[in-house]
Amino acid sequence: MATKKKRAPNVENDSWVVVAADSVIDSQKHHSDPAFVRLRNPSTDAASLYMLGSGDVQLYEVKAFEEDFHSWFIGQTVQRDGRLIFVTPMDPLYLILPYLIKSGKEGKFQPVDQVVMDEEFPACSRLLSCTRSLASLHHIAEEKEAGSLKFHRYSQERTMNWLKKKVERTIVALKKRNISVGEGVKSTTYIRVKSEADNHEEDYLRYAHGLISEYISDDLSKALLSHLGLPELTSPKETEPPSKKRKLSDKPVEAEEDYTKFNSADFARKPPKKMTAAQKTLAKVDKTGMKPMSSFFSPKVKAEKK
Amino acid sequence: MDLNPFEADNSVSCQLTSEIPEVCRTEDCCLGIDEAGRGPVLGPMVYGICFCPVSRKEDLKDLKVADSKTLTEAERENLFQKLDEAKSYVGWALQILSPNTISTSMLQRTKYNLNALSHDTAIGLVQYALDSGVQLKEVYVDTVGPAEKYEEKLSKRFPGIEVTVRPKADSLFPVVSAASICAKVARDRVVKGWNFAEDLGEVDSDYGSGYPNDPKTKAWLLKYLDPVFGYPQFVRFSWSTAQTLMDSKAVTVHWDDDEEDGEKAAQRQNNRSMLSYFGASAGGNEQNLTHQTHRFFTDRRLKSLDTL
Repeated sequence: MATKKKRAPNVENDSWVVVAADSVIDSQKHHSDPAFVRLRNPSTDAASLYMLGSGDVQLYEVKAFEEDFHSWFIGQTVQRDGRLIFVTPMDPLYLILPYLIKSGKEGKFQPVDQVVMDEEFPACSRLLSCTRSLASLHHIAEEKEAGSLKFHRYSQERTMNWLKKKVERTIVALKKRNISVGEGVKSTTYIRVKSEADNHEEDYLRYAHGLISEYISDDLSKALLSHLGLPELTSPKETEPPSKKRKLSDKPVEAEEDYTKFNSADFARKPPKKMTAAQKTLAKVDKTGMKPMSSFFSPKVKAEKK
Repeated sequence: MDLNPFEADNSVSCQLTSEIPEVCRTEDCCLGIDEAGRGPVLGPMVYGICFCPVSRKEDLKDLKVADSKTLTEAERENLFQKLDEAKSYVGWALQILSPNTISTSMLQRTKYNLNALSHDTAIGLVQYALDSGVQLKEVYVDTVGPAEKYEEKLSKRFPGIEVTVRPKADSLFPVVSAASICAKVARDRVVKGWNFAEDLGEVDSDYGSGYPNDPKTKAWLLKYLDPVFGYPQFVRFSWSTAQTLMDSKAVTVHWDDDEEDGEKAAQRQNNRSMLSYFGASAGGNEQNLTHQTHRFFTDRRLKSLDTL
């Protein structure tokens, strides 16, 4: 009989299936290979995997498509891990932002290479080599120049404007891609269908805000929400219906159903039987039109003569 | 009997037919249904029908067709030859259900068992005879599952035809015996000359009878077990013999209709404990604390990684 299948622990892989932008593998210019690095995720404050392109010129985020019961056939081999990894370009400012905010609390202008430092993630200083990093710092910080040195100080106002632009650009992308943003029934098996009623601007705004919030801290996300002029959603607890109130009437209260029958002696409550794994597998077999086991034991009906 | 249509692609079901004798289109006919290869773990199951005018029933008896199980292979080949020579009044048709068809039917998401498959195949063959203009009046079938239910099912499906379902029909009615000979001969020939679709090199063809309790068959099954793919399409994967061997010797494969239970499964399926719905305040707080990934990513099953 089929035994219960045990899941073996995932063994280390030495290969992955990755979809990456062409620019990732373009190592001609800098003569170094792209590398996976662990950096602080601005949204969760924990470690996440990123990729730095050749010469640390471009930052990429790493996301994995992961669903149960998937495996790969690659050439003549089988790979148990059915993940599909995406390496997509990312704005390094998102990762620099938390460090600037932290040092901004002191209110001083500082050189960025002293700000973007992390004992836990020493690789974070490499973020500053990205072509876009230093050139776009003015989006989130005030700048001061003294001689050949540049000093920066975090600016909430600039950051909010920058994030707002990000939200607006995201909305354009969402519309172009025809992505359904309306609230619907949340189900893992339903595919959201884009309907006519879906085109509310606020839905797009909220959806884009939610997407951008994946790349910033919770505090920043809340600040951005009010900057966009969106009220915070009420928690589901408040929208719960009030508990039922008893109807008032002068008539004597009477039970609608007679529950006493359950108390009588001949009413035996049968506990639901728990099936063994073997019984369960059997129960799954299609048994339509089959003879019951008992029919093989009952006395034989005499076969009709010719 | 030309087996080429089946051997061209032995992964699917295939129909082989004789020419329809002219008398069968004008005279009232009787038809017998029988199968061969229901039990083996190897090779196809073959369904056969044989039909002739009711008036020529006795002629069939004179050919000495008998229950195929009581005959040797040579005797069966010989009898099939005689049936083929009697084509002026005897017609036949076969449905070869490849082992792959049987496996995929029984193991698909909505299970389709061997009885249902048998019934539908039998119905298909009777319908073929009707469509070809055979004047059917009587049908004789060996039973599959409970006889009364099967008889009722067939009678309803073919009103106006007298259906008789009997156990051991192949020894009671010559027309059923004839059908059983056609089916058995076809199965023997297909199994003997099986074309393996898989690249197995020189295949050991000494697999015995193909029945699960034959030691030769068991040895063959052990020898040809691939840890990843299991077996060639020649083997019925839905047979417990094959399943047990794969469970113990091959790599475990999980499908999403495998049932799991217990707390771990619930956790994997992201089910919340019933208790969490009662502690109202506690449940609410917990959700606010943990970071919830935006539905853009959860809908697409995308997540961040912290290691490779």
